[in-house]
Amino acid sequence: MKGLYLIARIADETIALPATEIGSVVEVDQIATVPRVPPHVAGLFALRSRVLTVIDTRAALELGAIERSAVMTAIIVECDGHSYALLVDEVEDVIEADLPEPCPALLTASWRRAAKGTIRRGEDAILLVDPAILVAGAEPLAA
Amino acid sequence: MDDLLTDFIAETRETLEALAGEIVAWEADPEDRARLDSIFRFVHTVKGSCGFLDLPRLQRLSHAAEDSLAEVRAGARAPDAALVSAVLAIIDRIGELNDALEANEMLPEGEEEFLIAALAPGAATEAPNVAKINVLPSTPPTRAVSRSIRLPVELLDRMMAGVSDMVLARNELSRLLRASDANSATDVAFERLSLCVGEMRDAITRTRMSRIDALFSALPRMVRDLAADLGKTVRLEIDGGDVELDREMIEMIRDPLTHIVRNALDHGIEKPDERRQAGKLEVGRLRIGARQSANQILIEVSDDGRGIDADRVVRKAISAGLVSSEQAAAMTWSRKLDLIFEPGLSTATEVTGISGRGVGMDVVRANIERIGGTVDIESNPGQGLRLSLRVPLTLTIIPALTVSAGGTHFAIPRSAIDELVRPKGEQVRIERIGGEMVAYIRGARLPVVDLSRFMGLSSNDEPPSLLVVLRAGGGERYALGVEAVHDHEELVVKPAAPALMASGVYAGTTLPDNSRPMLLLDVAGIAAAASVGITPSVVEERAVDRRKLKAALPTLLFHDLDGVTRGVRLALVERIEDVATASVVETGGGQLLPLNGRLTMLHSAATLPTSERLRVLRLSDGTAALAYAIDQVVDVVELTGEMTPAPVAGPIAGVLLHDGLPIEMLDPYWLFTNALTAPANEGSPLCLVADADDPWAREVLAPLLSAAGYRVAFAGEPTEDRISVVLTAGTAPEGIDAPVLRLRGTPEGAGDESIYRYDRDGLLRALNRHVAGGK
Repeated sequence: MKGLYLIARIADETIALPATEIGSVVEVDQIATVPRVPPHVAGLFALRSRVLTVIDTRAALELGAIERSAVMTAIIVECDGHSYALLVDEVEDVIEADLPEPCPALLTASWRRAAKGTIRRGEDAILLVDPAILVAGAEPLAA
Repeated sequence: MDDLLTDFIAETRETLEALAGEIVAWEADPEDRARLDSIFRFVHTVKGSCGFLDLPRLQRLSHAAEDSLAEVRAGARAPDAALVSAVLAIIDRIGELNDALEANEMLPEGEEEFLIAALAPGAATEAPNVAKINVLPSTPPTRAVSRSIRLPVELLDRMMAGVSDMVLARNELSRLLRASDANSATDVAFERLSLCVGEMRDAITRTRMSRIDALFSALPRMVRDLAADLGKTVRLEIDGGDVELDREMIEMIRDPLTHIVRNALDHGIEKPDERRQAGKLEVGRLRIGARQSANQILIEVSDDGRGIDADRVVRKAISAGLVSSEQAAAMTWSRKLDLIFEPGLSTATEVTGISGRGVGMDVVRANIERIGGTVDIESNPGQGLRLSLRVPLTLTIIPALTVSAGGTHFAIPRSAIDELVRPKGEQVRIERIGGEMVAYIRGARLPVVDLSRFMGLSSNDEPPSLLVVLRAGGGERYALGVEAVHDHEELVVKPAAPALMASGVYAGTTLPDNSRPMLLLDVAGIAAAASVGITPSVVEERAVDRRKLKAALPTLLFHDLDGVTRGVRLALVERIEDVATASVVETGGGQLLPLNGRLTMLHSAATLPTSERLRVLRLSDGTAALAYAIDQVVDVVELTGEMTPAPVAGPIAGVLLHDGLPIEMLDPYWLFTNALTAPANEGSPLCLVADADDPWAREVLAPLLSAAGYRVAFAGEPTEDRISVVLTAGTAPEGIDAPVLRLRGTPEGAGDESIYRYDRDGLLRALNRHVAGGK
């Protein structure tokens, strides 16, 4: 059994997202900033009449911040009834791949939290990331 | 038809359709437990609903079937073919009755008895008859075409979103059209499209609306049961069930309303003997009404029970450690009453199973405020209690004010806004206390939250140019400093993502016509985050405020007629007014001034000036009013320091120092004491109404005269006092030495000095003139 995956790049890492969880890929221009929110919430973006919450995936993984430019690429996902635009560095492709396998290598803490496994593209293993983890953002420091 | 009944019919039909397959399967295998269970559930549900809806025939049928099936489930009886047929016949009959109910027809009675009899264990031989009855329905099935369907709310939401998209697209198109000088034919076509889109939006918005009956319909039963449990008799009056509001809103109000009704029955309305002793009808009255006012729905629950004694609430609050006795002493009645909304307070002396320990009024308020509503309480101890819930029409469309701070736009729900003020001048200004900004607004000090600094959008420490005074809930207010106010808009508000809501300062997101997303501020959340007015310190802060107010009284300084500079507490001054000097009436050493058609005592420190106009302060103690003639207003200042009391009682209470100058303070107590005796009935001018038999004179004229402060007598009544003026529409009675005021029935002048009888102002002016001239 095979699944469809969207391949994107976040912080020099190639990642995959399950295509079933993705609404569309859009270009984001005007982001309305929102004060007093966690750093991975980049702001709000209007896609027709919907208001999307824009997530900086680099910040969510505590890997810096996505470079802000006039037009950025975002992946639209639905999570708990809310729509989010996940800002990524680049969207590469949609591929068909076998079901994910467990992560083979030791990962850094932030990737370990977000990764649900790996999928294979040719010879490469690509991290499969859970969009819900990106939406939730950086883990609050253990109190 | 009753909404509940419609729901019941639709639901029964749906279940019957779904059950059709199960029934056949059960017939084939009567031992099948899963099928048996689902059929049992169906008849059980029907039975329950029928009891509620008062449908005895359906109830009898379903009850009988349920009993038999329960025996089978309990293993007491084997599901033989006869039983299966009998149950199936009953289910068919339920379907027929259901159809008849919808078509509003009656099926002949009596057949049910056969069906029920067939259920009996020994009735096996009669089974074929049952089938026969079933095969020969006495009425041909005339199922009316159903005009209502059930839709999932998600579908409605998607329709709503689609229409919102259309509205935005229309707005964009409209902008483009304006820019492109399109010809008029295009304009006309666009107008038509625009109209259609608007109508469609209204229609789809209405699909989300539901009659408030959906909320009220369960109450009669609840009240009946509760009253019976409590040994009370209560008459429930429900009014305004046809008011419509958002379905989701109805669900949000359900629990708070239920709680309030339970409280009213449990704690409010007394037991019959207690009511009799109190001289009330034994039957308690509970009134629940809903009505729409502007874009709010007002739901009032009032009872004629014992009400809530605010002083008892306070004693409870003191013993619960919520307030100190000094704080309590400074509280007004309504503020004391408001304490019942504080967490952890119950006034019920006995704890009962119905409404518990009074936990809940705080939850009621919290729930209502969460949906942008307010709760007000009015109590009349011994007479009853009234709770008013005000909620917005929908959860999704909120009238809001858009403001900006630090270059970002925000929306504020209009329901939370008290007023907008610009801090300029003496009455409204920003002070600094301990480095923090405090707004002084006409005698009240409010904490200032500067929005751009609060949001981290600027580190500027300049006082804001505009203040929005907000109610943070629980009666607490604060001033939000903003840079600009842009617009009043009706905004479609959607819940924001959890990461945004977690900040606690936003209530939702919205997309105005300019397609720039905007956040709706959570007024209470900001107060909490900026630590103004958080609940535990509410009472504390209020008390502090009061002490501050006591230390510095806002005072109006004025030059009095005798040239002395005097002061009066600003709170007493209702307004400053210029009146015609000639309108002052001298009576028995006092002076009266007609203000708003009422004779008001005028106090002056010296003889009135001869100028045409006279400046007066209108003072009010809340009920009584008096006028104080002055020369001119000097300033409004905060007077601090000790007052040296005047040696004798009089219009001057004492002297205060202000900027090194002595200021004489007026003594409102003395002034009002004297004002109240002066225009009292005995001394007021007496009007004689000549047309004693004219109903107009009695019913219309006389009340007007009394309201204006005159005494009224009718011709023929013996009167000792001197008559000041005679009013007549016909002939004046002989032998009375008083000016005569003639009234006429038509507006057109008759060439004499008569006054049109509905010219209220003219009439009162003329009366004044005559009363003054008659001296």
